[in-house]
Amino acid sequence: MSQWFVSHLILIQGTFISLLLALSIQVPLRAGVFSFAGIGSYALGAYTAAILTIRLQVAPVIAIGAGVLLAAVVGYLLALLVARLSGLYLGMATIAFALFLGVAATNGGELTGGPTGLFGAISTLTTAHVIAVTLVVVLLLAAGERGAYGRRVDAVREDPQLAVTLGIDVNRVRRRVFVVSGALGATAGGMYTLLRTTVSPETIGFHLVVTALTMIIVGGSLSWAGAAIGALIFTWLPTVLQFVGEWQLLVYGLLVTAAAVYVPGGILGLLQSGWRRYQRSRRPAVRPGAAAAAAGEHEAPLATLGTPGEVRS
Amino acid sequence: MAQDVLNALTLGSLYLLFALGMSLAWGTIGILNFAHGSIFMFAAFTAHLLVQEVALPMVALIAVGVAAGALLSVLVQLLVFEPIQRRAKDKHKAELQILIGGIGVAIVPLAIAQYLTRSVPFGYSAGRFQVNSYDLGFVRVSNVQVITLAAAFGLAALIGWWLKAARPGLALRGIGVDAEVASMMGVDRRRLALLTMAVAGALAGLAGVLLTYYLGSIAPETGDAFLLKAFAAIILGGVGSIAGVTIGALFLAGVETLVLVTTSGAWAPAIAFGVLFLMLLVRPNGLLGRQEVRRT
Repeated sequence: MSQWFVSHLILIQGTFISLLLALSIQVPLRAGVFSFAGIGSYALGAYTAAILTIRLQVAPVIAIGAGVLLAAVVGYLLALLVARLSGLYLGMATIAFALFLGVAATNGGELTGGPTGLFGAISTLTTAHVIAVTLVVVLLLAAGERGAYGRRVDAVREDPQLAVTLGIDVNRVRRRVFVVSGALGATAGGMYTLLRTTVSPETIGFHLVVTALTMIIVGGSLSWAGAAIGALIFTWLPTVLQFVGEWQLLVYGLLVTAAAVYVPGGILGLLQSGWRRYQRSRRPAVRPGAAAAAAGEHEAPLATLGTPGEVRS
Repeated sequence: MAQDVLNALTLGSLYLLFALGMSLAWGTIGILNFAHGSIFMFAAFTAHLLVQEVALPMVALIAVGVAAGALLSVLVQLLVFEPIQRRAKDKHKAELQILIGGIGVAIVPLAIAQYLTRSVPFGYSAGRFQVNSYDLGFVRVSNVQVITLAAAFGLAALIGWWLKAARPGLALRGIGVDAEVASMMGVDRRRLALLTMAVAGALAGLAGVLLTYYLGSIAPETGDAFLLKAFAAIILGGVGSIAGVTIGALFLAGVETLVLVTTSGAWAPAIAFGVLFLMLLVRPNGLLGRQEVRRT
């Protein structure tokens, strides 16, 4: 086990970092906010952690924490700025924000190391820390997807007008997901930089947007579990499918396209609908009668609002 | 100075040819095609593959690029966007799925081109066409620049006129305003959508071939950069407005050239993102966009 752990260390680290990055896009998407600001936060977190570690030799907690704080504040301000936008327009504005940061990093002079980036950010951060942080994040997000708060976010996604009439402060939910997304992206960026000890502007580009989106779309965008499935698949697929080799990118493209067209819910969606069908087949047939029909009718609109993970009995 | 203006105009014309089709598809049939950059690159690449076998003149390469672009664009519409629109529950969900499907399908031609070229830039040096420059005294003009300028402004004017004056153009604009009502008035949405995508792809192919001639060679990744610049041009001018996208493309090329000429040019790639972001904040409809564009 420990032998396996050591020899696959890079992939294990990659899985957890990718999961955090994917979550920084999945959290807004779950609330119906199409924002790629998490990619920009990844850049903020990565550079803040590198600069603080190299210049001030602070502990990794402080280096990453400062990046997370900065990205959360920037996320909040960004949310205020783009409050008017939604859908594709919001997606484009946030992509522009993220890629602008990439160019800014190239032009940052001594502070960001210019086109070559920064080297020698050596810290005491270990894989165990990364795993622990990711688990805590996942637990918090999983808790946030359940219960009243989870249903409120579902309502904001499915029907913002309805959510407003129900007394949900839609704009506050939206601002909150921007802050969470910023913090998550910065955590991923900061930890990745300290593990690899370097950061360069090439790490932040359109390809990062595509990678994160690929994981969520194939895994499933409505729950953290979907992001986890996606992160697992796309980190480990290259090692499993070695014969794919040079055509790896092509396989990714086809997977994303197929998922976008045929399984918008992703693998998680497929698993959930399969599980529900299985449960239904085990349950005895519903008694015919007005009461059952009325109950079924009553359940239908609620089901669309329910947390995807929950199976109603 | 005059040289810089001419270079900016040429760059703007290439942006215009590229963005024209995207703006047309987005403003009318509601498809924001993220695979447009890939189609553009792969059309130019198809022409490159052909010219390696037979030394062809420029006209033939342009024809190949235009045909390849139109074909790819129609294929993407048939295999990806149409099934998404058919299956999606509502328009908003379809929009996002089209964006994601476009990003996904864009990887496929890129992966093929990267594999075949090993990511080395490709060009048409094997072709029969020679790039010549003419010295006019105050400025040097190449034959490629003349063709690019004429093609871009000619086609933009033609499409603008067609949308305004021709009956199918009216029908297409009708779809852009309200697809359901347009259908009830007897507009064949599917056929017009395929036509629009074919025209958009053909324009992308033309832009790809002309850019390759203009620069000498392009890399498979050029499509991504053009895609993001085209967004900026479209948002700046207003989605669906032909005059708007023309202004947007020329403005973007002008500012980029200005920055390249007056500074070291390291900030040039950020201009498109800055313009896009600021414009979305200040006036999401663009300079000449219709008020109906949804933004709430």
